[in-house]
Amino acid sequence: MNPYVLSILLMGLGLGTTVTFASSHWLLAWMGLEMNTLAILPLMAQHHHPRAVEAATKYFLIQSAAAATILFASSTNAWLSGQWDIQHITHPLPTVMITIALSLKLGLAPLHAWLPEVVQGLDLTTGLVLSTWQKLAPFALLLQISPEIPLLITSLGLISMLAGGWGGLNHTQLRKVLAYSSVAHLGWMMVVMQFSTSLTALALLMYVIMTTSAFLTFKLLKSTDMNSLAMSWAKTPSVTALAPMMLLSLGGLPPLSGFLPKWLIIQELTKQELGLVATVAALSALLSLFFYLRVCYCLTFTSSPNNLAGVAPWRLESKQISLPLATSTSLSILLLPISPAILSLTLPLF
Amino acid sequence: MHFTTLILSSSLMTIFLILVLPILGTLSPNPAGSLCIKEGVKTAVKLAFFVSLLPLFIFLNEGVEAIMTNWEWMNTLMFNINITFKFDLYSIVFIPVALYVTWSILEFTSWYMHNDPNMNRFFKYLLIFLIAMIVLVTANNMFQLFIGWEGVGIMSFLLIGWWFGRADANTAALQAVVYNRVGDIGLILAMAWMAVNLNSWEMQQLFSMATNHDLTIPLLGLVLAATGKSAQFGLHPWLPSAMEGPTPVSALLHSSTMVVAGIFLLIRLSPLMDNNPLILSTCLCLGALTTVFTATCALTQNDIKKIVAFSTSSQLGLMMVTIGLNQPHLAFLHICTHAFFKAMLFLCSGSIIHSLNDEQDIRKMGGLHQLLPFTSSCLTVGSLALTGTPFLAGFFSKDAIIEALNTSYLNAWALVLTLLATAFTAIYSLRVVFFVSMGYPRFNPISPINENNPTVMNPIKRLAWGSIFAGLLITANISPLKTPIMTMPFTLKMAALTVTIIGLLTALELASLTSQQFKIKPLSTTHHFSNMLGFYPSVIHRLAPKTNLILGQLIANQTIDQTWLEKTGPKMVASANLPLISSTSNLQQGVIKTYFLMFFFTMILTILILVV
Repeated sequence: MNPYVLSILLMGLGLGTTVTFASSHWLLAWMGLEMNTLAILPLMAQHHHPRAVEAATKYFLIQSAAAATILFASSTNAWLSGQWDIQHITHPLPTVMITIALSLKLGLAPLHAWLPEVVQGLDLTTGLVLSTWQKLAPFALLLQISPEIPLLITSLGLISMLAGGWGGLNHTQLRKVLAYSSVAHLGWMMVVMQFSTSLTALALLMYVIMTTSAFLTFKLLKSTDMNSLAMSWAKTPSVTALAPMMLLSLGGLPPLSGFLPKWLIIQELTKQELGLVATVAALSALLSLFFYLRVCYCLTFTSSPNNLAGVAPWRLESKQISLPLATSTSLSILLLPISPAILSLTLPLF
Repeated sequence: MHFTTLILSSSLMTIFLILVLPILGTLSPNPAGSLCIKEGVKTAVKLAFFVSLLPLFIFLNEGVEAIMTNWEWMNTLMFNINITFKFDLYSIVFIPVALYVTWSILEFTSWYMHNDPNMNRFFKYLLIFLIAMIVLVTANNMFQLFIGWEGVGIMSFLLIGWWFGRADANTAALQAVVYNRVGDIGLILAMAWMAVNLNSWEMQQLFSMATNHDLTIPLLGLVLAATGKSAQFGLHPWLPSAMEGPTPVSALLHSSTMVVAGIFLLIRLSPLMDNNPLILSTCLCLGALTTVFTATCALTQNDIKKIVAFSTSSQLGLMMVTIGLNQPHLAFLHICTHAFFKAMLFLCSGSIIHSLNDEQDIRKMGGLHQLLPFTSSCLTVGSLALTGTPFLAGFFSKDAIIEALNTSYLNAWALVLTLLATAFTAIYSLRVVFFVSMGYPRFNPISPINENNPTVMNPIKRLAWGSIFAGLLITANISPLKTPIMTMPFTLKMAALTVTIIGLLTALELASLTSQQFKIKPLSTTHHFSNMLGFYPSVIHRLAPKTNLILGQLIANQTIDQTWLEKTGPKMVASANLPLISSTSNLQQGVIKTYFLMFFFTMILTILILVV
C-alpha cells in the first residue's frame, strides 16, 4: 500500500483508540470507535481479494450496527438521566443495550458469529490488529461503565468461554482457531469484570501479548492452516521449539504466563462464593486447551524422525522483523515468576 | 517337690524331644543319616509310645493332671501368649493311643511305600504331622492349638497330594485345603472374640471368665471350625476325596487323628458350651444329619477306601451328636476306640489293595477269605467293632452314646436319624465284608497273594488287639465325668443292638439278591442319590466357582472395562462433546443475517428479562 495512505490509516487507528480512552462523553467515545472502524476497513481490503473484501464488508456492517446501538443507548441515557457522562449510566435499559452492543463489537458470545469469518478473510497482520488493538477501545468503555447486572455479565462470560472452546475444536484453519480463542479469552475477561476490573485488564494485557506472539509466529511460518505447520521444523527449528510453549500459554497452562490471569480470576471467583462458575470456567479452559494442543501437535510431533508430512520447503530468508516476535513470545512464556509485578501494572488502573 | 508332676511333665517333654529328633536329623547335610530314616522314625514313635505309657499310668493311678508353662512368647501390656501344655485326661489318654496307632501305621508304611523313591520324605511328613497333632492336643491356649491346627491342615494337603502327578490327587488336596480353610474362619472368629472380650487365649482364663458373657458367637465359630476339620455336613466332601492319598495317610490322618481334631477342639472347650442350648442343639442336629447322610452315601460306593472314608465321616457325625448331648467324655471315648478299628480297617484295605495289584473296586474283589485269611478276619473284627458288637472296642463308646441319646430329652429327630445311621453302618460294613472276602474271586490271578511279610501283619495284629480290648481297658480305668443314666426301658437299652441286627439282616437279604435277578431294572433314583453323594459335590463344586467367575467377569469386564472406563468415563467425554462442537461450529453459515439475528434476539431477550 502507498506509505502515505498506510500512515494515515495507522494514525487514524491509533487516534481512534486514544480518543475513546480519553473520553468522558459518550459522543466522543462513539466517535473514537467509528474512527477505528473506518481506519481499519481499507487495511482489511488492501489486497482486493474477494474474500478480504467480504470480510471487510461484514466487519463494517457489524461494527456500524454496534456503534449505532451505542449511540442510541447513550441518547436514551441522556434522555432518561440528562447527562452524557460515561461513568454515570444509571438506568438498566441503556446499560443492557450498551453492554450488548459492546459485546457485539468485541465478539462475545452469543454475538461472536462474525469473528471467525472476518478473521479468516484477513491476512495475518490485519488479523493481529483486529484481534488485539480493536479490543482495547470497547473494553475501555466496558470497564468504565461496569454494569451492575451480574446475571448478564456472568452468562455472557460463561457462554463465551464454552462457545469459544467448543467452536474452535472443529477447525483446521489457524485464523479461525485464533478467533475462537479470542472469544474464549474475552469470556474470561467478562466473568471477573464485576468483581475486579484490574483483573480484567490484566487478562486483556496477557491476551494481547499472547495473541501477538501467535499471529507473528504464524506469519513467520507463513502458514494459515494446520497442515502447513507440519513442515515448520524445517524452516525455523527455534520457533518450532518455542511456539508450543506460547500456544500452551494461551491455553493457560502453568508454569507459563497464560496461567496468571486464569489463576487470579478463579481465585477471585472463589472468594466471591461463585464456585460453580469457577468450576465451569476451569473446565471450559480444557476445551480450548485441546485445540491449542492440536496445533502444538501439528508443529512438533510431525518433526523428524517421524514420517515427513510434506515436501521440504524452500528456506528463504525472512524479511520479518524478529524483535516483536521475540519479545512477545518471551513475555508470553516467562512472566509467571514475576506475577506480582505484572499485577501491579494493572492494579492502580481502576 | 511334687515328683509325680515332675515325672509327668518331663516324660511328656521327652516325647516331644524323641519325635522332633529325627526331623532335626534330616536337616543335617550328611546324607547317610537320611537313608535309614524310616527305621529311625518308626523307632522314635515306638519309643515315644512306651515313654507315654508312664504318664498314662501315673494318671490312672493318682489322677494327676498338669499344666506346664514353658516360655513367655509374646507378652504385651494387655495380652500374653505363652507356650503352655495341658496334660489332662484328654491329652494323657489320647497321646498313647495316637502313638500306638501311628507306630503300627509307620511299620505298615515301610511295606506299603517300599517302592516309592521319596519314602524318606513320606516318613518325615508323617512325623511332622504327628508332632503337629500332639501340639494341638496338648495345647493349653488357643494360639498353640491354632499352630497345631494349621500344621495338621498343611500336612494333610502335602500328604493327600503325595502322588501329585495325578490330577485327581491335586484336586483332592486343594479341596481339603479349601474346606479346612472355611472352617479356619470359624476358629479365627472364635479366637478374635476371645481376645477382645475375654482378653486371653489361655483356657483356664477362658473358662473362668466366660460365664458372664453370651458365648453364641465364638461357639458358632468353633462349631464352624469343627465342621471344616471334622467333615460335618456342609463341609464334608473333602474327606472322601482325601482318599486319593496313599493308604497310610488315610489311616493316620483321615481316620484316627486329624479329622478328630475338630471334635477334640469342641471337647476341650466344652465347659463353654454347657449353658448354651442353641449351640448344643446345633451340634446335635448337625451331627445327626452328617451321620445319616454319609452313611447313606456309603451304602452304594464301590471303592473300598471311600466306603471306609464315609464310615469315618459317619462316626465323626456321631461324635458331634455326643457333643450335642453335652457328653464330651463319651465323645472322647469314641475318638480313642474309633482310632483303633478305623486304622485297622484302613490297613487291611491297604493290604488287600496292594495284594490285588492296586485294585480298589470291591466289585473286582472276592473270595479273599481263602487267600488272605488273617487280613479278612481282621477286616471282619474291625467291622464288628465299628458296628458296636457287644464287648468289642466300639461297643463301649457307641452303645454308651446311643443310651445317652435315648435317655435324654433332646431332639427326637436327631435320635431317629442316629439310629438309622447305626443301621446303615451295619449294612455297609456287611457289604464290604461280603464283596471283599466272601464268594468267589472276581479278579485276574496275576500277583502272588500272601500274608508272609511281618511288617504288614504285625501292625494289623496290634491294632486288632486294640480293637478288641481298648474299649474295655479305657472304660475300666477311667470313670466318666458325667453320671450316665443307668435305668431305662428294655427296648431303649437294646435299641442300638436291635437296630444293628435289623441292618445286618437287611444287608444279608440284599447280599443274597446279588445272585438273583429280582427286578428287570433296579430302583435307580435312590441309588443315584446315594452313589453321587447326594449330588452335593456336583452342585457345590460347580455352582460356587461358576457364580464367582461370572461375577468376576461381570465386575472386571462389563462394569469396569466396558462401563466405567468406556461408556461413562473417557469415551463419554468425547461422545458428549462432539454434538456440542459440531453444533457450535455449524452455527456459522457465513451469512450476515445470522449475525444480526443473534444480535437482535439477544438484545430483545436481555431487555425483556432484565429490564421489564
